Amino acid sequence: MRGVLNTGRTIRQGSFVERKNSPAYREEAASLHMNEVDMLDLELEEGSHVNVRSDQGAVVMVARPADGLARGEVFVCLGPYANFLVNPETHGTGMPDFKATPVTIEPTTEPVPTVREIMERYGGVGYEG
Amino acid sequence: MKVEDVVCTFCGCLCDDLVVEVEENRVISVENGCTLANEKFIGDHRLENPIRREGGRWKDVSYDAAIQETAEILLDADRPLLYGWSGTFGEAQSVGVHLAELLGAVIDNTSTVCHGPSIMAIQEVGHPGCTLGQVKNRADVIVYWGANPIDAHPRHMSRYTTYADGFFVKEAFKERKVIVVDVRKTESSAVADEFVKVDRGGDYAVLSALRAIVRGKRDIIPQQVAGVTREQLFKVADICMNAKFGAIFFGLGLTMSRGKNKNVRNAIELTEELNRHTKFTISPMRGHWNVYGSNEVFTWITGYPYAVDFARGIAFYNPGETTSVDILKRGECDACLVVASDPGAHFPRACAEHLARIPTVQIDPHVNATTHLATLQIPVAVTGIDAEGTAYRMDGVPIRTRKLFDGTYPSDLDIIGKIYERVKEVKRS
Repeated sequence: MRGVLNTGRTIRQGSFVERKNSPAYREEAASLHMNEVDMLDLELEEGSHVNVRSDQGAVVMVARPADGLARGEVFVCLGPYANFLVNPETHGTGMPDFKATPVTIEPTTEPVPTVREIMERYGGVGYEG
Repeated sequence: MKVEDVVCTFCGCLCDDLVVEVEENRVISVENGCTLANEKFIGDHRLENPIRREGGRWKDVSYDAAIQETAEILLDADRPLLYGWSGTFGEAQSVGVHLAELLGAVIDNTSTVCHGPSIMAIQEVGHPGCTLGQVKNRADVIVYWGANPIDAHPRHMSRYTTYADGFFVKEAFKERKVIVVDVRKTESSAVADEFVKVDRGGDYAVLSALRAIVRGKRDIIPQQVAGVTREQLFKVADICMNAKFGAIFFGLGLTMSRGKNKNVRNAIELTEELNRHTKFTISPMRGHWNVYGSNEVFTWITGYPYAVDFARGIAFYNPGETTSVDILKRGECDACLVVASDPGAHFPRACAEHLARIPTVQIDPHVNATTHLATLQIPVAVTGIDAEGTAYRMDGVPIRTRKLFDGTYPSDLDIIGKIYERVKEVKRS
């Protein structure tokens, strides 16, 4: 399925923002909120894993139904999962297009990476603690 | 021990009415705080001591060694970037700007991926704003545009708008009209008197249509503008024009979507049009507790609010060129000092990858996403818990944050001040 990724703050994201390596933060930051009809089309249930791809790469997230989104619109709270997909082009403003990233979404059985694993993919070295 | 009138250092509301109970070096309860405040004060998990990456492993280092190495990394770099600053207090920000000048570095704050476009618009057409106290006591119409305060600024509605009784608005919930404009339904749109759902990327067109209506050009409005019906546009314009005092609060729905700074400029110009009929103000919903302060401090020292480049020996500012995302995307900086923010989590992938390629030093109390990308992290006290200093609320009112107990961590100012002294010694020798 093709869609457009919107990002923004959620209260759960804010609650765990100073514990970014916790399971609670990952659960929120890796949640892909979708229209329920789109989920039916892709044969997804709440909690199903999806591979989300943009021109920057692909990352596995967890599908969740959301009642405020139109078909083709998906929402992920700001954080490393959404930003894996966001293009750094700023069109001379300094600000990337955080609110409108074209993505494709397909079901997968792959696991959701941790924040640490995402940073290791970037070339970092994970810190335990 | 109970401490009253505690200032919450989470979001730009800087609520200053918390009651916090402290037992030795630990907060055990918070009254009056929102969910975010409770998590901030009670769920406090810190990095214990400075850590340094050596090959593929992390090792503990002393504060003195970490400070010395940071100074050396910054002095060795040709184009250092000093990024973050919105999660620390003004006195530390000030030393950061002087450090940038001494190094010939670029210094940028988190406005760059937040309300930077709003600042660009304000530089073009000005800012008809007011304090939150004025809004609370006078406003009978509130517009939240591209903002979701219930999630991002949980007490904004109860302290200043929807549910806050004021001097001239005795029964706020009955007397105030609240309009929410957004591309999706949110918790905030659910409590609005009027929800205007705009098509994605359509804010500029809807703002232009409202400007035309306020100017008396109803006949040129088509049946629908970016998903909003003509009737609803008329209704919203009438509510605004009939207000005694209206206040628009806008969020990243305007600054991050198509049009960016031009969306904000159009919203400011709508406010100007409305002032031909009544009193109307407009203000950004600033995110981090002291991001407004970083703009103030940068501006009073350099003349520019963010993205300040000292490479020429004088302050230079050009969003799109001297902004952090652009510098990192181009792979231009060869060292980065991150203070009180988390670009690993909040910058696009390509930018975070560059942070992993260069020496990156992070000064932050917590282990976050940037920790894994850094070469060195220095933990500090949390301002508002075991450090204190000046912060600016989202409406530009300075508020002194308080220290609740004497902890064992140095403050941001202690660490950045020592780095500055080391750099100064080398530069002068």
